[in-house]
Amino acid sequence: MHRFHRAPLVFLAVCLALCTAGAATAETPLRRATLEQLCEKSVGPRVEAVDRLLTATAAGEEDASWTFAILDAARSKGLHCGKDAVPLLKLEDGWRDAASLAPAEPPEQKMKPPFVNLKVRASLDMGAALSALLAAPGSAAAESGLGEIEKRPDRANSAVIAAATALSENAPFVDRLGSIQASLDLASEVPEDRIAAIDRIAENPSERNRTALLNLQAELGGKADPVTRDALDNAIAEIDGWIALGAVASTVYSGLSYASILFMASLGLAVIFGLMGVINLAQGEFIMIGAYATYAVQEALRAIAPGLLDWYLLIAIPIAFLITAGVGCAVEASVIRHLYRRPLMTLLATWAISLFLINSVQAIFGTQNLEFATPAFLGGGERLIADFIVTWNRLFAILFAALVFVAALLVLNRTQLGMYIRAVTENRDMAGCIGVSPRRVDLISFGIGSGLAGLAGLALSPIYNVNPTMGTNFIVDAFMIVVLGGVGNLYGTLIAALGVGMINVVIEPLYGAVAAKVIVLLLIIAVIQLRPEGLFAVKGRR
Amino acid sequence: MFDQLFSPPGSATRPAPPVAPLALLLAFLGLASILSGWTGIGPSPYFLNLIGQVAAFGMLAISLDLIWGYAGVLSLGHGLYFAIGGYLIAMHMVKVSYLLTSTPPDFMLFMGWDELPGYYAGLEWFPYTLLLIITISALVAFIFGFISFRSRVSGVYFAIISQALVYVAMLLFFRNDTGFGGNNGMTGFTEILGQPLGERATIAGLTGASLLAAAMALAVASRVVRSRYGHMLMAIRDDEPRLRFLGYETLWLKLGVWTLSAVIAAIAGMLYVPQVGIVNPRVLSPELSIEIAVWVAIGGRGTLVGAFLGAVLITTAKFILTAIAPDLWPFILSLLVLVVVVALPNGLFGSGETLRTRISQLATRRAARQAEGART
Repeated sequence: MHRFHRAPLVFLAVCLALCTAGAATAETPLRRATLEQLCEKSVGPRVEAVDRLLTATAAGEEDASWTFAILDAARSKGLHCGKDAVPLLKLEDGWRDAASLAPAEPPEQKMKPPFVNLKVRASLDMGAALSALLAAPGSAAAESGLGEIEKRPDRANSAVIAAATALSENAPFVDRLGSIQASLDLASEVPEDRIAAIDRIAENPSERNRTALLNLQAELGGKADPVTRDALDNAIAEIDGWIALGAVASTVYSGLSYASILFMASLGLAVIFGLMGVINLAQGEFIMIGAYATYAVQEALRAIAPGLLDWYLLIAIPIAFLITAGVGCAVEASVIRHLYRRPLMTLLATWAISLFLINSVQAIFGTQNLEFATPAFLGGGERLIADFIVTWNRLFAILFAALVFVAALLVLNRTQLGMYIRAVTENRDMAGCIGVSPRRVDLISFGIGSGLAGLAGLALSPIYNVNPTMGTNFIVDAFMIVVLGGVGNLYGTLIAALGVGMINVVIEPLYGAVAAKVIVLLLIIAVIQLRPEGLFAVKGRR
Repeated sequence: MFDQLFSPPGSATRPAPPVAPLALLLAFLGLASILSGWTGIGPSPYFLNLIGQVAAFGMLAISLDLIWGYAGVLSLGHGLYFAIGGYLIAMHMVKVSYLLTSTPPDFMLFMGWDELPGYYAGLEWFPYTLLLIITISALVAFIFGFISFRSRVSGVYFAIISQALVYVAMLLFFRNDTGFGGNNGMTGFTEILGQPLGERATIAGLTGASLLAAAMALAVASRVVRSRYGHMLMAIRDDEPRLRFLGYETLWLKLGVWTLSAVIAAIAGMLYVPQVGIVNPRVLSPELSIEIAVWVAIGGRGTLVGAFLGAVLITTAKFILTAIAPDLWPFILSLLVLVVVVALPNGLFGSGETLRTRISQLATRRAARQAEGART
């Protein structure tokens, strides 16, 4: 919505400059009548004025940019009316005469915008969106206007749509206009038009179009001719098929995105617990620190380089990793180091560390949720099949998890450091004997494990609530995933996260979120009973 | 590496912890408290109530120490058994006050129910409630223990799935339609065993009961760990495969003490809830269960007395500090845990011995080095 608001303003300024220069066109009777009616208090005349103005504009009898300017101003309370006074527009750069759009003196008497109720607002919004199509075909304002119209296609003005179709040159635009026209044609009395409209709508399956067709079916009842009825039945069947496919696709997609979050949360733990055998209850707090580091980067960019603000997530990647890895290394060097011989005590120590970190962050930043800006490239999504929409922020989480997984695998399997880590994992004493320093490897792997948790915090920040206690929500899940996947095996962690994510998403709509979580945890407990070492355990000498 | 996790806390030469004096002291305090309730002289009801709550926590710590310190089985989900006791006694009190005053409890109004669910049947009789508390906690522990120990889930894995179990239970109890009060839990109890809960005599009585029960738990636990059975438990803790190879079925040995521990925890919960006057799913949160392990570790595991004193120390400090400086308490607790864990591996009340053995170890090592130096 806010995108639609801002774009017209810019456009309006440009357009006003053009119109006022080109045609200080005189007050036509239409304009006077329109403004008079728009200034009225009651609803009926105003809605009527909008309709008449749109029809006239579509017929070429009125300048589209004037129509847009007036309707856009009226809906944003820029149209000021006064008793016995010429209506004025109050824009960002000053007052203008409403009829000619020429700059005007500020009013002497008291003028105010007429009250806009819901019905009038709907009419004005639709009118502004429609006139944007005609005023500047192909512009951003027209684009977002089209989006508005698509939400309520049945309310669109047919003449305007036809005129806009004639004006438009780019193909997807014409296509979308065609769909809107088709929804309007559903109400047509001519059977051929109606059948064409039905076929047209069936090409674009969605829950809304299905409802439109079902409504039509109910409306027609037995009155329709057999051809229309068949066309309608086929169309509904076709849409149903696509909707079912779309539902499956979107379940798989949300399962994937949930799995990617689980996976990111458990990957760091898989390194720390799986490879090093340290029970790190502070892992959730490392995630939290990663999210706070991301927030710090965002705020720093806002202050120093607002132009880069949109890219804060990418800029924060190395910073979140390094900060959390630094905290992790500090924890390892100060506390965990003394406890490798008594790993049980690491459990209590890391619990204390997590308590400490939560309360420190609380003392510094407060307990409220942090606010993250959604970068432009993560807003919105692409409709693929029926109502299945690929949202960019979730896609980002999935791709990011995949990238981090590949990077972690490469480091572990293809570098010398990775070889040392694996050596220490498999046989600590023997690795020490052949010159690998287990102490140093421990420090580095703990750093990597906590850095990975920091990246999880980064990936979570556009999707989840970020607050000091956010980490506690992940710790049980993360432990279950690591244990389920088998200790010391990143592939196992991946498969476990995918499985749990999918099962969760499949169960959730059937039994609710809590029940889904309960069932999944009970399943995991059952699996651990059968395979105590996890599904994909690595044999090692520990 | 993982079997070191549950390795013995210190040297095998540690002398038996002096349980008897503490148990006698607790029993004496318990009787004194009951007497103070009768006569009306003595400390304020608020103070008595605090002592009672701390004693219930101490008992909970004893139950965990029994399995963790002696059998080497760490449960991070002991809050579950505590909650079984707490919820059942709460159901008992809700039922009683419903029958007496016929004002329905909040959750019935909230859910729009006309009567209590079927499983409240008979809960107005205290002996039946007590029987249920013992059998249900024992049964849940037995089933969970049986399937876990039989498939030889141990160490960290056991700790984690026991935590997952308590987490699952918490999620379930947060639901409003289960008949256990959901989010808000159960509160508004009026009386227990015919005694009004608000009166000083009842409070003193509950405190006395908690102290006596803690003394009993100490006595029973120390009796168990000193017996032949207790020695086998310690053998399991130190080297379970060896005991199995020697021909013992460790499954049943572990199950026995595990179930006993769950029952003690449930009774602690039963004593705790009437004293605080509310039970809600927070007792099932993983944090409480971890905190129990923290009490035991700070006090010193495998000592019973240490576990009890650890719980007393931490919960008392929590009561005082959350009242004086609520923001500081988490920092103090976390630093205390870190110091204890890093510097005093066997806890506050078990550390003297280790310090001494450590010094002697150092001395022998230095002597050995000197001897070596003399030779070259």
